[in-house]
Amino acid sequence: MLIINCPYCGERDQSEFSNGGQAHVVRPSDPEKLNDKEWSEYVFVRSNPKGIFFERWVHSHGCRKWFNAVRNTSTDEIIKTYKLNEKPPILAEFTNNLKTPSGEPELGSGNFTVKK
Amino acid sequence: MSSINNTKSFHLISSQKVSFTFDGKKLTGFKGDTIASALLRNNINLVGRSFKYHRPRGIYSCGIEEPNALVQIISEHNEPNARATVKRIYDGMIVESQNRWPSLKMDIGAVNNLLSPIFSAGFYYKTFMGPKGFWKKVYEPIIRKTAGLGKPPKEFRSKSTHHHHNVDVVIVGGGISGLIAALKFVKTNYDVLIIEQDSFLGGILNTSKKIKEINGLDTIEWIKKTEELISKSKNIKILKDTTVSSYNYSNHLIALEDKAVGSLPPNYKPELVLHKIRTQHTILANGYIERILSFRNNDLPGVMLAGSFEKFVHRYGVVPETNPIIFTNNSSTFSLLKSLIELNCKPSAYVDNREENSIEKSTLDYLKNNNIPFYTGAEVEGCDGRNIIREAFIRHKGNIIKLKTNMLCVSGGINPDVNLFTQSKGLIKWDDNLFTFKPDKAFQNTIVIGSASGNFNFQKLNDEIKNKLNFLKEVNDTKIEIISNVENDYKISEIWDIKPEKESLWSKSFIDIQNDVTVKDLRQAITEGFDRIEHLKRFTTNSMGTDQGKISSINSLGIVSKILNKSVSEVGTTIYRPPYAPLSFSAIAGRNTYEFYDPKRKTPIHSWHIDNNAVFEDVGQWKRPWYFKNKKGETMHQAVQRESKQLRESAGILDGSTLGKIEVKGKDALEFMNLMYTNAFTKMKPMTSRYVLMLGEDGMIKDDGIVSKINDQHFIATTTTGGAPKVLADMEEYAQTEWPHLEVYMNSITEQFSTFNISGPKSRAIMRKVFSNIDFSNEKFPFMTFNNFKYLDTEVRIMRASFTGELGYEIYISPKYALELWKKIFHSGKNLGLVPYGTETMHLLRAEKGYIVVGQDTDGTVTPIDLNLNWMIGKNKKDFIGKRSLSRSDTAREDRKQLVGILPLDKNKKILEGQHILEINKLPKKIETPIEYLGHVTSSYHSPNLKHFVAMALVKGGNKLMGKKVYVSDPSKSETIPVEIVNPVFLDPENKRLLS
Repeated sequence: MLIINCPYCGERDQSEFSNGGQAHVVRPSDPEKLNDKEWSEYVFVRSNPKGIFFERWVHSHGCRKWFNAVRNTSTDEIIKTYKLNEKPPILAEFTNNLKTPSGEPELGSGNFTVKK
Repeated sequence: MSSINNTKSFHLISSQKVSFTFDGKKLTGFKGDTIASALLRNNINLVGRSFKYHRPRGIYSCGIEEPNALVQIISEHNEPNARATVKRIYDGMIVESQNRWPSLKMDIGAVNNLLSPIFSAGFYYKTFMGPKGFWKKVYEPIIRKTAGLGKPPKEFRSKSTHHHHNVDVVIVGGGISGLIAALKFVKTNYDVLIIEQDSFLGGILNTSKKIKEINGLDTIEWIKKTEELISKSKNIKILKDTTVSSYNYSNHLIALEDKAVGSLPPNYKPELVLHKIRTQHTILANGYIERILSFRNNDLPGVMLAGSFEKFVHRYGVVPETNPIIFTNNSSTFSLLKSLIELNCKPSAYVDNREENSIEKSTLDYLKNNNIPFYTGAEVEGCDGRNIIREAFIRHKGNIIKLKTNMLCVSGGINPDVNLFTQSKGLIKWDDNLFTFKPDKAFQNTIVIGSASGNFNFQKLNDEIKNKLNFLKEVNDTKIEIISNVENDYKISEIWDIKPEKESLWSKSFIDIQNDVTVKDLRQAITEGFDRIEHLKRFTTNSMGTDQGKISSINSLGIVSKILNKSVSEVGTTIYRPPYAPLSFSAIAGRNTYEFYDPKRKTPIHSWHIDNNAVFEDVGQWKRPWYFKNKKGETMHQAVQRESKQLRESAGILDGSTLGKIEVKGKDALEFMNLMYTNAFTKMKPMTSRYVLMLGEDGMIKDDGIVSKINDQHFIATTTTGGAPKVLADMEEYAQTEWPHLEVYMNSITEQFSTFNISGPKSRAIMRKVFSNIDFSNEKFPFMTFNNFKYLDTEVRIMRASFTGELGYEIYISPKYALELWKKIFHSGKNLGLVPYGTETMHLLRAEKGYIVVGQDTDGTVTPIDLNLNWMIGKNKKDFIGKRSLSRSDTAREDRKQLVGILPLDKNKKILEGQHILEINKLPKKIETPIEYLGHVTSSYHSPNLKHFVAMALVKGGNKLMGKKVYVSDPSKSETIPVEIVNPVFLDPENKRLLS
């Protein structure tokens, strides 16, 4: 279980939070102007990278505030949290370490020895 | 020859006798004894029967790694699979052996041993293949009865609790390495937690004579001094009788403390404490585990791990046998040899697999000086005996030497206990000198010290700890001088299993003693193609069970590597998963059981409902009246028909307090509500209400309810009972993340207001009687309006709304006044035929009227257009959640499933929810290709007012099929029911009743 640093309350247990998926996906200001494809990309399509990921969290059993976090999806480490109105960090700020804890290959998963 | 007490043991408390029973026999042990040490003191070696073959089994180890000595503690709500080597005795304890019938010595199941040649690896998978259905009904019940371990415990309430820690350093293991590490933190600024699984600190210092002196002090003296020093340091906390069971991400450890060690768990306080620990650094000093060797009949009672034998001698003060044979392949057993000689016990033989030139000179000299028969480059080929070992066979220079004995101490080498380290996701590495895995690269802030890191040399211990903790600022420097009794270097020869002299179908060399897995099983599995270690484990059940193969998993890797002709690191290990040792469910549950796990939410009227024979339905956590039993013997169907009829004839009252209520306020509340809901609120007059829909961004219906507008800055929304938290969370999400420029605030007021729904033709008359000063006329109080009125010294909000299709009112009042008002209404309405009704009648009545229930008639794939609720969509609004999706090519299709009514042509026919709607009237006898279906029934009730079933269904292109004859199928019968597709409003389509 992770410790998450809520920008409003400080470090709290993961069980107090809910994940809200990819961050910085802005709702189109005039949806009617978009064609079906553009709109469906907003509604349905999200990225799911291995490594550094900017995502949203909400302190649902706490202050009820939404905020953003930078998480490494291959190690599950939350590197940074910041308020919604703060300037988003740039990807290059972080070392994008794709290595998983058990030393699996960068792509795919499974038992290393079995794969050989 | 039998066991004796070691009176020199510091831990032996022979003055305090403890009596307990084992299999009905009264026995005496000493205070501090485990069940195992007490049994050995009483010369009892046979303690259980094995899992599969029902072979006699004894005590194999002296700790948490025990594979065999699992017992049932009858005096503790039948606790099964307790490790006899861990569980302490107390006066009046009742212990029973497991997996035997009728008795431990005479076990019928032992016939399995004779049949063993057919019970080989994968036996269950291969044998119980068919006929169809036999597994569930015949095979599984029989196997469950004969195979397995203890019986399940009787029901009991958990008496465990959870503690949370947030520290800088956790030291796992209070042995010599852990204590030296702890000394580095004495009186520093680090918050430190030491976790020790025994009741004493000291580890190996208590369990062996490997170390003579530390800093000039006797070991027991040194432990005492060190513990004093640590205890006085306020930054260090020691947890004893506590086992770390898992090591998770972000240095989160879970440890289980047994609060009731050596006593009957009291009724009034927790017996177990689950510690949830957060730490910056974890120091693993959890030592090593000794492993077995596989030879013929290596599971016989009387075969024991050499290190465990020594632990019994020093830690529990019992020498299990005065003249055992010692069989080893490494230098760790020298200490046992010395311990025995010092107690005037002479091992009857010392068998070392190593050649004479690689055995330490001191060991050889010691053996010679004490006249102990010893064999080098030798091995124990096997042993024989009935219920206990009687003779061992030693293969030495090609000859077999037969020796009589009551005990055989085995050591196949020692392994750093890497379980927790690998749980932390650290990588381990095979060591070609130690023939074991040891920690390599840590993934988290983990430091491994002492024998857990593969350092078996005490002389190097202090320097190792110093170097590894060097990176920490301002830790103490420690000076530790260790004088050991034994050689400091550890040497081992590579040997995993020993070939039996004569191979027969019945001869067995076990590799996993708990699961009855033999070396032969491993070989066979590999022959059958299960040559990957994870497959092999599942196929043979090797290293599963309560001990998870702690004493044998490395051996199986060794054996497999030899068979496959690969190196052990190529074979790899299976993954170690938490828990490290079995963890009782009650410990995990803690206080979160029964009503504390899932609270029951009751409305203020609950007591009245009980008094009036309500049958309750769970809606989320709420208890809602389902229906009211009028008289004894009334069935649910009868009650619901009665309630429904009476409401339409006179009036009914429903407790709607569970409805979600959300208050929305703020300068921009109007704009916010316009964006959240499909409806247009701008032109809506203040103090009016509206039926509303909330969509997801995909255009699908998420929730419905009624929104009341007090003014443009203040709205009150009701939601479905189950949807309330989600709706509030969604509002909060959009307000914060998408429209932070809107000044709007929202909060739940579900529990701040009790709600009653009164409806039926007589409801106006009843309301007039209760609130005599309010004008309820159609002109003053039209449909979908509301107002606040003074009532006693509080306010009541009354809204004209209805979910039944009848004239109706909703009353909102503070819960404090709710029950009183409810009783008053009921009293006033009794003569007018007011009936209390439950959720089932509510559902029936709304179905007659064609009103939907979100979650029953919708399922997350239904748009408002599918339900013909286009009138609810504010088409002129620029935007609202889900608006754009309603014009997507897929949602705009005309052949989507649409909500229609279903009317049986034969009015006596029953229609059930979930039935499929078909175009064909006869189902083929044998169905070869899937049958085209049009949709399914979402709601169906027998209407007492219309005297036939009324049903709603989602049907493909349903709007265009009005009046068409289709069929409803019943999968349990071949019969289909002819029905007509109709408008779903069955009753009062002109809304005469509603607006009356």
